[in-house]
Amino acid sequence: MSDALTNEPAIVVDKVGKAFRLHASGTRTVKSAMLDLLHRRGAGKKSFWALQDLSFSVGKGETLGIVGANGAGKSTLLSLLAGTKVPTCGSLHTRGVISSLLELGAGFHPDLTGRENVFLAGAIMGLSRKQMRERFDAIVEFANLADFIDQPVKHYSSGMYVRLGFAVSVEVDPDILLIDEVLAVGDENFQKKCLKKIAEFRRSGKTMLIISHDLGTIQSISDRILFLDQGKMIGIGDPHETIGGYRSLSRSRQTRGHEREWGTGEARIKEVLFENAAGDTTDTFSYGDSVRCRIRYQTTKRIEAPIFGFSLSQADTRLVFGSNTQVEGFEIDAIEGEGELILDLRELPVAAGNYLFSFSLHSADHRDNYHRLDYAYSITVLNEDRFEGVCRIPCFWNRG
Amino acid sequence: MINQLKDLFRRRELIWILIQRNLKIRYKNSALGVCWSLLSPLFLILIYSVFLGLIRVPIHLPTLVSGIIVWQFHALCLGDSLHCILGNANLVTKAAFPRIILPLSMVGANAVNFFFSFLVLLAYLLVAGTSFGPVWWLPLVVLTHLALSLGLSLIAGSANVFFRDTEHVLSVVMLAWFFMSPVIYEPNMITEAFPAWVQWLFFANPMSGLLTAYRQTLLSHDPVGLEYIALSFAVCWAVLGVGLLVFRGAEPRFGDEL
Repeated sequence: MSDALTNEPAIVVDKVGKAFRLHASGTRTVKSAMLDLLHRRGAGKKSFWALQDLSFSVGKGETLGIVGANGAGKSTLLSLLAGTKVPTCGSLHTRGVISSLLELGAGFHPDLTGRENVFLAGAIMGLSRKQMRERFDAIVEFANLADFIDQPVKHYSSGMYVRLGFAVSVEVDPDILLIDEVLAVGDENFQKKCLKKIAEFRRSGKTMLIISHDLGTIQSISDRILFLDQGKMIGIGDPHETIGGYRSLSRSRQTRGHEREWGTGEARIKEVLFENAAGDTTDTFSYGDSVRCRIRYQTTKRIEAPIFGFSLSQADTRLVFGSNTQVEGFEIDAIEGEGELILDLRELPVAAGNYLFSFSLHSADHRDNYHRLDYAYSITVLNEDRFEGVCRIPCFWNRG
Repeated sequence: MINQLKDLFRRRELIWILIQRNLKIRYKNSALGVCWSLLSPLFLILIYSVFLGLIRVPIHLPTLVSGIIVWQFHALCLGDSLHCILGNANLVTKAAFPRIILPLSMVGANAVNFFFSFLVLLAYLLVAGTSFGPVWWLPLVVLTHLALSLGLSLIAGSANVFFRDTEHVLSVVMLAWFFMSPVIYEPNMITEAFPAWVQWLFFANPMSGLLTAYRQTLLSHDPVGLEYIALSFAVCWAVLGVGLLVFRGAEPRFGDEL
């Protein structure tokens, strides 16, 4: 095969748009259709563009992660690629057998046995009975359901259902695998198995499109990331960069609207820079990182014994921690002109999420608020290990 | 068109698996299972023969039996067609395959049922000692019947995706249709009592021609003019054509509506 052929993309999406008609009431009746007909000439139908002007291509063997907030159009994109929905405009080409994990075990009929459903699912994906017989044992083994395969699937637990669905979808050996938020199902053991299978798929040169809200995982398994927002493509490219872009957008969505600035103006906090341990300016930290805040101020006159304060809040403005120079016993006799104060936070002990910083500059007796910046700066904290609550308190267990 | 047929042929295993599934599910959780496909026409035959006897409209029993069994297939198909897309929403929204496979396999499953009741009908006719007509026409009759069933299922199945009123409309239509078709009476009650244009109208109803054709081949009834039957048959195939067009128009929007 020539290079030109092997390099041919597995998926080409060209100026694709998808509009849904909005019905006033859920289901249509003849009456509402008649009314629609009457109104059609007037105001024009209401439609909602779930995807707009989307163009990209995915190379053979590439893994493309798709991120975006709820309603960004991620699932609509996958259903267009799977062929269950038809684009309103633009064109869309895929090469090879597509298997979609849009919803694990979607095609299963509750009254049929696991075995019957496996053959049905295979036939739906276009495999012959012979091909399915060859794969059947592998499917049952992967799903770990040997004892239950001849039971109607309505008696399955949800975990068993999902396992069988995943097993069928991966064992049919597709050229393109579409995965919609399935990494979040099943127990930890099974999730590991899935990730292993996905890695195996990657190695064997399959093309994959993966939707996940688990940004850490998707960043590590994707070659490129597509970032969708409100039906439009914001970016496509390097996982680290694109995920960063997505994070800062979703952070600004989540945290904006709380910021407030007030004060007498005799002294001002000009800006605050956040640095990580390496001294780089950033707004994304990991659990346990140290944060250095460089607070740059400016005064119009000499101010005696000022107090600098800060607080860290969750995205919904719930206070996590706050302190000031007075409480901490750091005395500043006076400030005048421009200057910088450094605040070091050691080992950020908080759960993953977005946080807001507030800063204040006031007099020792709290009477004069020179400058207050409430919820003015936001940072993101990443954490691989999740824990309950806002912060982790170091804890040790011993037998007494 | 040729490509679509090729695609369907390639997907024949899926069609077959879905036919099996439809049959399995229909009789799952019922004690008498597959016997119902014979019991329900049997009860209908009993009810109508008593009723017709009471109102003194005598009907030849083999005529009634054949009428009910043929109508039963027709009615079951149309009843099932309402849900052949809607009831498989999970498949339609999650996997890509030619959607026509759903109505096709539904008609297929009913045809399998019909085949068995047809065998029983043949056995009954043999026992009853009626004389058969030109049975070599039977394949054409059955094929035309299947064309009509598929055509109507395509229309009713897609209509019900968009308008849930279809169900209610259909139940009324089916009742009217039952009495407008020679199921529990013989067509000569119409042909002898009314002028020719009424006859043409009567046979514009595809079920009139089909029922008459079944009876002429199986029971050697007095032949009704061939032109009337030809009209009915033409309507059957036209319905299939319209059904295919309607379905082709509706198909791309199933994924959005479900």
